Amino acid sequence: MAPRVAEVRSVEAVLEAFADRQYVADRSLGVAVYLALELGRPLFLEGEAGVGKTEVAKVLAAVLDSELIRLQCYEGLDVNHALYEWDYARQMLAIRIIEARGEGSHAQVGDIMSRDYLIPRPLLQAIEAAAEGARPVLLIDELDRADEEFEAYLLELLSDFQVTIPEIGTIAAKEPPVVIITSNRTREIHDALKRRCIYHWVDYPDFDREVEIITTKIPDMDERLARQIAAAMQTLRSLELFKPPGVAETLDWARALRVLGSRDLDASSVEDTLGVVLKYREDVERVLELGPDRVAGTE
Amino acid sequence: MTRPEALVSFVRALRDAGIPVGPTVAGELMAAAELVGLADAHDVYHAFRALTVTSVEQVPTFNEVFVRFFGADDSHLVTVTSPAPPRTWSIHRGREEGAEGEGDEEAEDDAFVGASARERLATRDFATLTPEEVAEVRALIARMVWHPAFTWSRRRRPSRTGDRPDLRRTLRGSVGPEGDLLRVATSERRIRRRPLIFIADVSGSMERYAEMLLYFAHAARGRLGRLEAFVFSTRLTRITRPLQRRDPSAAIAEVAETVTDWSGGTQIGEAIRTFNVEWSRRVGRGSPIALIVSDGWDRGEPALLAAEMARLRRSVHRVVWLNPLAGRPGYAPETRGMRAALPYVDDFLPAANLTDLATLIELLESVPARRIA
Repeated sequence: MAPRVAEVRSVEAVLEAFADRQYVADRSLGVAVYLALELGRPLFLEGEAGVGKTEVAKVLAAVLDSELIRLQCYEGLDVNHALYEWDYARQMLAIRIIEARGEGSHAQVGDIMSRDYLIPRPLLQAIEAAAEGARPVLLIDELDRADEEFEAYLLELLSDFQVTIPEIGTIAAKEPPVVIITSNRTREIHDALKRRCIYHWVDYPDFDREVEIITTKIPDMDERLARQIAAAMQTLRSLELFKPPGVAETLDWARALRVLGSRDLDASSVEDTLGVVLKYREDVERVLELGPDRVAGTE
Repeated sequence: MTRPEALVSFVRALRDAGIPVGPTVAGELMAAAELVGLADAHDVYHAFRALTVTSVEQVPTFNEVFVRFFGADDSHLVTVTSPAPPRTWSIHRGREEGAEGEGDEEAEDDAFVGASARERLATRDFATLTPEEVAEVRALIARMVWHPAFTWSRRRRPSRTGDRPDLRRTLRGSVGPEGDLLRVATSERRIRRRPLIFIADVSGSMERYAEMLLYFAHAARGRLGRLEAFVFSTRLTRITRPLQRRDPSAAIAEVAETVTDWSGGTQIGEAIRTFNVEWSRRVGRGSPIALIVSDGWDRGEPALLAAEMARLRRSVHRVVWLNPLAGRPGYAPETRGMRAALPYVDDFLPAANLTDLATLIELLESVPARRIA
């Protein structure tokens, strides 16, 4: 294999490299990332919001010292916004100039339909970078938000990593970029696409890992408070809430408690800061009903 | 442990267990085993799982097959805690008449149902139909022709009379022999069909009505946008997949097999809660219409039902409640459950006979694209 992944040639290396960049990954994720790199397959990360899916791509780009190219999906996303668009204003200006110079009679189509007039969107950016021999990390974020039609297009793209622009020609990646696809599961992604990928379900962390995440991400965090917060998160996630809090909320909460100068998690500090952790009124009410003491572990 | 033959039969076992793996997967597993090394069983487990599983629900099945093949040491099998595994129902064999008579019933579906039958059956309550009439009604339902109201997609398509200039086409159109900007091409939003979420009560009193409405949903599924279907009496079961079978009798028979308590006590609030917590965010895209079929006899807490209905209404475009009793003379929604749910229902309709279904169709054909609060 090419030397580009020289520093992450084993599962251990992946885990270490991630840890160096403050990402506490479990073994299962390490294996999935390692396989995706070695086999040159896209990594499909599925999981609830706020468990650190997007972060994986950012960290991996840093680890590989590659450019991170991000395509944020949304309803109505189409090829014009995902792949490329012509720079119309420039094209029109060019037409005017050609006319003004009186060169209209021998102007060529290529004069205004060349690469200079193309605005590359994330997918083309990734392919162009890969065509020049780089290996960028392409993050296709929240694919579940895009329409199914787009998914079909993506499936085609992921199979050969080349694009044909009629006026310019075909641009092909020398080597496929590292692709990371994330989904919050607001709908099921088609099986054909998932089967092309290395699949990994990003779970909520267990207690020990969550403590590690808090103390890694917030360096001057008191270990005892971190343990209390992690325990409270485990409790909250067991309550059948409408939206159980993710790791993002854990970190927000830890930061909030630190700002407020809390040394211990108790009923009143839970009550004061619940809005940082729970984002649905029903969930907040449910916790208040059960008693913040139970969450704080001071019952 | 990773001899090719072993891997091939491992792959076959996965397939037999219902995990649809591709034809090339055995080779990939081989490559992966070499990459992660055989020293660490954990890594082999994680690698194989990442290569074969395509959804978190398949993990328990995968674990089972993996343990069977590569040793019983399951200490390293990572248990996946979220989301809660979908509730499984043991297989119920009480309704086998439907499955057995399948062939005959198909024939009946195709039986000619004349205009006189249509008239005779138009206002007959579904619960009082004879078996022959059930077949006739089903045939009539299958032939109803209607077109659900559409809504706007965010995707766009070329159009002569669109509302937004389409610069790509404009420019391309101008690169002709003349090179002038002749006409500004425009685009408009595509139309799309609104998804429908069907949630039917199959407790004792509702059984026949729910069944007829399932036939209705089945017949309509090609015409609608995505159709998601659930049934409940004490618990909620998703029946979207069985309902995708083409033959209506086979589809409904499969639904009957997936569901055990066709006649248990009814927990509407609990069922809607399950929908809200476990399914709403997974199947609720595209501002769907929620169609609830129930007589409102709820054994649960009215407060729970009210809260869950409120939440449901916030996450869908429109809530339609079909109550078979609603068409009866003198009916008033007085059960505790019905009273609790009603404030969050946009349309409350009867659903006891074919005429009622026609009213429902009228509604679905005219649902406005914007919600009128």
